[in-house]
Amino acid sequence: MSTFVKTWLVAASIPALALGASLASAHHSAAQFDFSKRITVEGTVERFEVKNPHAVAVIAVKDAKGAHNVEYEGHSASHFYRAGYTRDMVHVGDKIAILIAPRRDGADGGFIQAFTVNGKTVGFGGLSPTGKAADGTGAPAK
Amino acid sequence: MVILQNMSAASKIVMAATAILASGAVAAAASTHPDFTGLWKAYVVAGAQRASGFGGPRADLPLTEEGKRRVEEYKKLLGPEQANPGAYCVDYGTPTVMEMPGGYPLEFIQKADQLTIIYEVENETRRIYTGSRQLPVEKRIPSRGGYSQGHWEGDTLVVKTTDLLDGRDQGAHPHSDQATIDERFWLSKDKAGKSVLNYEASITDPVYYTAPVKIQRKYEPLQDGFILPYRCPDDFWYSLLDLRTEQLKAGKPANARMSDVYKAREAKE
Repeated sequence: MSTFVKTWLVAASIPALALGASLASAHHSAAQFDFSKRITVEGTVERFEVKNPHAVAVIAVKDAKGAHNVEYEGHSASHFYRAGYTRDMVHVGDKIAILIAPRRDGADGGFIQAFTVNGKTVGFGGLSPTGKAADGTGAPAK
Repeated sequence: MVILQNMSAASKIVMAATAILASGAVAAAASTHPDFTGLWKAYVVAGAQRASGFGGPRADLPLTEEGKRRVEEYKKLLGPEQANPGAYCVDYGTPTVMEMPGGYPLEFIQKADQLTIIYEVENETRRIYTGSRQLPVEKRIPSRGGYSQGHWEGDTLVVKTTDLLDGRDQGAHPHSDQATIDERFWLSKDKAGKSVLNYEASITDPVYYTAPVKIQRKYEPLQDGFILPYRCPDDFWYSLLDLRTEQLKAGKPANARMSDVYKAREAKE
């Protein structure tokens, strides 16, 4: 899969931005991630661990740097499950699109805001990789 | 149970009521005081940004000179990742846990002589002793959560938390080991008729503050919710077992240590 990367501002998603930032700041300062930007990354799952205090996803991507693996960080396991994640949803080798808040320092990586895999979307704060509100399976916990 | 099946529904209800009354603890909690038992999440005001329990000391704290010095000193320890206890699988402590950092639910379990509060993150647990049975002062081991003694004033639970460890890492509300936290819990309804659990705290700390510092929070019921497992130190233990399994497979003694787990993780980063 060719990786396309797009950046878009989230003026329409201010409540979601507030949620994303405050959840992220539970364990880290939000300072290292830029929650005013969202980037969609597509690739293949190398590793996907929904664990505490933070989920870790390693995705094989192809971009200007060539083919390489990038590690992304995400919310805790219980936030994943409340956002619609279910056991065995993601497997090594799956094609995945992830919406991330990029690192401020420009290095590879970022904080997972939403992802779509095997036709299912999980979004935090109502986000999705396409920029549209997540569907019923990905709606955040009320 | 055959006998029960043959009884009328009314008889079963009478029997059940008698059984409940026979338990003094349940009767006291049910009849005398409001019951906070249940799952609670942060009360959401439409359109408002949620307050986070972490993110550094509040801007309006009435810090003493010593308080200012300690705040600045602590900032220097946070490092590039802006560390906080939760990132290292450490309980948040009082009062930060009551501010629900990260937005996880709190579970309240109320008995006649004890209110137990459990935060989803690391199952951080507070026990507020509300009866005559209290741990002797000389046996109160200082802790991040402190020792909490409560009593009822009408429908308000009034709690005094003491025996705290130094709380320089308490997010918005750092404190010293000299701090006392006075807390109040009471129920109300909002305009829409929704149940609200109100929380107020006042931190008195001569080391950090020139005046008591007030905290206010509101919680609302988490409908149809569950407290989900959240334990992060476990992961380090599993990693240690993995390393030792690899050693055995390689024909070596299984003697990896936790420092090797950290080294292996750092090598990945």
